[in-house]
Amino acid sequence: MLNTLLPILLFAALALAALGALRRVNMWRRGRPAKVDLLGGLFAMPKRYMVDLHHVVARDKYIANTHVATAGGAVASIVLAILVHGFGLHNRILGYALLLMSAVMFVGAIFMYLRRRNPPARLSKGPWMRLPKSLLAFSASFFLVTLPVAGILPANFGGWVLAVILGIGVLWGVSELLFGMTWGGPMKHAFAGALHLAWHRRPERFGGGRSTGLKPLDLNNPDAPLGVEKPKDFTWNQLLGFDACVQCGKCEAACPAFAAGQPLNPKKLIQDMVVGLAGGTDAKFAGSPYPGKPIGEHGGNPHQPIVNGLVDAETLWSCTTCRACVEECPMMIEHVDAIVDMRRHLTLEKGATPNKGAEVLENLIATDNPGGFAPGGRMNWAADLNLNLLSEKKSTDVLFWVGDGAFDMRNQRTLRAFVKVLKAAKIDFAVLGLEERDSGDVARRLGDEATFQLLAKRNIQTLAKYSFNRIVTCDPHSFHVLKNEYGAFDGNYLVQHHSTYMAEIIQAGALNLGQHKGNSVTYHDPCYLGRYNGEYEAPREVLRALGIEVKEMQRSGFRSRCCGGGGGAPITDIPGKQRIPDMRMEDIRETGAELVAVGCPQCTAMLEGVVEPRPLIKDIAELVADALLEDAAPNKPATPAKREPAEVH
Amino acid sequence: MSTNVISLVSIGAHPTSGRPRRADQDARAVELGLQLAGDNLQVLHAGDVAEPALRAYLGMGLEQLHVLEQPPGADALPALTAYLRDAGAQVVLTGSQAETGEGSGMLPFLLAEGLGWPLVIGLAQVESINDGSALVLQALPRGQRRRLKVKLPFLATVDNAAPKPRQSAYGPARRGELAADDVEVVEDELLAVATLQPAKPRPKRLKVIKAKSGADRMKAATAKASGGGGQVLKGVTAQAGAEAILKLLIEEGVVR
Repeated sequence: MLNTLLPILLFAALALAALGALRRVNMWRRGRPAKVDLLGGLFAMPKRYMVDLHHVVARDKYIANTHVATAGGAVASIVLAILVHGFGLHNRILGYALLLMSAVMFVGAIFMYLRRRNPPARLSKGPWMRLPKSLLAFSASFFLVTLPVAGILPANFGGWVLAVILGIGVLWGVSELLFGMTWGGPMKHAFAGALHLAWHRRPERFGGGRSTGLKPLDLNNPDAPLGVEKPKDFTWNQLLGFDACVQCGKCEAACPAFAAGQPLNPKKLIQDMVVGLAGGTDAKFAGSPYPGKPIGEHGGNPHQPIVNGLVDAETLWSCTTCRACVEECPMMIEHVDAIVDMRRHLTLEKGATPNKGAEVLENLIATDNPGGFAPGGRMNWAADLNLNLLSEKKSTDVLFWVGDGAFDMRNQRTLRAFVKVLKAAKIDFAVLGLEERDSGDVARRLGDEATFQLLAKRNIQTLAKYSFNRIVTCDPHSFHVLKNEYGAFDGNYLVQHHSTYMAEIIQAGALNLGQHKGNSVTYHDPCYLGRYNGEYEAPREVLRALGIEVKEMQRSGFRSRCCGGGGGAPITDIPGKQRIPDMRMEDIRETGAELVAVGCPQCTAMLEGVVEPRPLIKDIAELVADALLEDAAPNKPATPAKREPAEVH
Repeated sequence: MSTNVISLVSIGAHPTSGRPRRADQDARAVELGLQLAGDNLQVLHAGDVAEPALRAYLGMGLEQLHVLEQPPGADALPALTAYLRDAGAQVVLTGSQAETGEGSGMLPFLLAEGLGWPLVIGLAQVESINDGSALVLQALPRGQRRRLKVKLPFLATVDNAAPKPRQSAYGPARRGELAADDVEVVEDELLAVATLQPAKPRPKRLKVIKAKSGADRMKAATAKASGGGGQVLKGVTAQAGAEAILKLLIEEGVVR
């Protein structure tokens, strides 16, 4: 009886799966066109899956091994089951192979089940709680129905009772694994995930590469949409990417805005995009909601505006673009791209950048700096430093990109410290002075692509006038934009963060360094230096050269938590339950360090905004400058009498 | 209710960089106009149609901006007066003072005089427009408001008490149309013979703080301006009123 039932079940499920796949593909095709190497991507997919994706999953050994067993077992079992039970190839070797594979899958599914007994908050419940059971049903049923094929049991063992039970088990299994895969069940992640890996919008990320620069909008074509208004305005492979989400919630666990109680949950956002591409409401979402926003009140479809239907604007403006979600995502989904795409529409079409956003963008247009300071004051911080201007010198080894920190009194200390270091190392360097403009980082991340491109093009025009070997900057945001985002406008330079450059000149022995005195030190990785550009080592190397043993935070390196200062978040200032820098300061306090070394003006400002008492905050350049030894110590002047500053009341 | 509203705009200059931008008060005039008339708002500029800063007004969501084409140095007054008279405007809104050019703040007054319309200065809000007259709130110093009833058509200037202008967005700014009208160019003779020089900041009156406590300071900051020596004339003849005013003007040295 099973011999007639199994092929029917299998092929019916396969046919339905094929139908579902077509339907799903058509949903993705509602998106805008994208340049993708279709065939090459498909060929590259197995390697991307087994190497790149596995690297991310392998950060959690338990789930990595479990997934290898379950997914590997499932794929092999399905293929073998089609051969053995579908086409009736009752070959003993195939039978044993199927037994082995379904057993492997069964073991994997058991561990999957164990993980789900007490699931962490980040995991979605609902149908995902059913999945391990379905996997168990599938593997157990196929194991049992294959026993006669392998000749272990007689063909009619157990009679019709067992046959019915197994039939139901097989039905359950193939419904979840084949039918459910393309009709929106939890197994959809396998189908959409595989294609997402093949047709990823940033194929450079595979094979150990890095691709973090935002993609430019085509502003020359008046018909090209300015950002994403409706789900169908995403490119089709972005829609596909959303569909690949496994709802593991790694992004949710890493998101600083979520932890701060701001109305953002990257996992929910991606699921909302899935609701958008398929149509419906978020009522079936079985994970954590956006903090403060109940589930079930939002819905949409591909042709309806996303904001204020599917997602509230403040959800999009809560993001600090720290990329922690992208870094953690085992499916390599690009959350930040999607958020910025939607922000672009809000800013460029609706003029709805919240809070100080509009003012900052207006300032950037009118004064080239977000604070609206008189552009003529850009070099006031260096009035007494006699810096070389590139407009006079024309060519230099190092172009010191000052950044908008030039207008901030706290950051001026960092800049002056770095100049001191450069001078001590006798580096041939120069600055652009008043010719420098904001890099466009904030404008771009606030969605104002037009202002970004304006600033970028003007900066590139300025840089083209001079010759220099490299650009060095103390600001990871400028660093990232100059390095990764100017290339699209023909601005290609060797750009270095000052920590990288200092590590280089220290290694070359150009600095006469003493030791850091006193307090214990921890180091805070800036997102735009670390996750965006992979520079984790150089700052630590510099600190080691100062004799500092870094007391690492629990969340450091690629898992570093954002200071809350990126992506224009301090400008849009969406309220939450707590402040992100306060949480980061808690991380810092846990190490017991009395001083935190930073390498970013934003991080400095955010962390120094935490109320005292708290550890001191110093830029790496300041630490290096403090440890510099004078070559020929001049005669020490007699120490002047200690003067107490008058107390001010 | 469809009121014919026209907002007059000029080219502004950013206070720290001096770069052209939408003028802040004029943008408020557009904002108020948009709140009043929505898509029916007409926006008018006299000057160069090619000035990119004009697009910043379009970015507020306007489909069109009329430009009475004029070279720099031309007198905007005759062109605007003629246009407004023919356009059938009921409410004309403008900033109090331009950020560039002469910036005398005289334009609204001269326009009102030329058109023979009432002028409301410091308009903060239009409450309602009914039966050919409008109920408006005029901003007075220290956050006070005065409710006025004005007959249509009227002209009003807005200052910082008017609602903040909405953000200018790139998309509508790019799509909006700058419609140039050819008008007769009248040379501004006064401007041609005058020499322009940077304005000196007006010296600030020395502020003597007499208040001893926080409450006193609060009172000083929020109290109504009190002239003290004022005199209210009620039920007097026009002759007597005029004499009283003339007497005051002579006392104050305004008329000699």
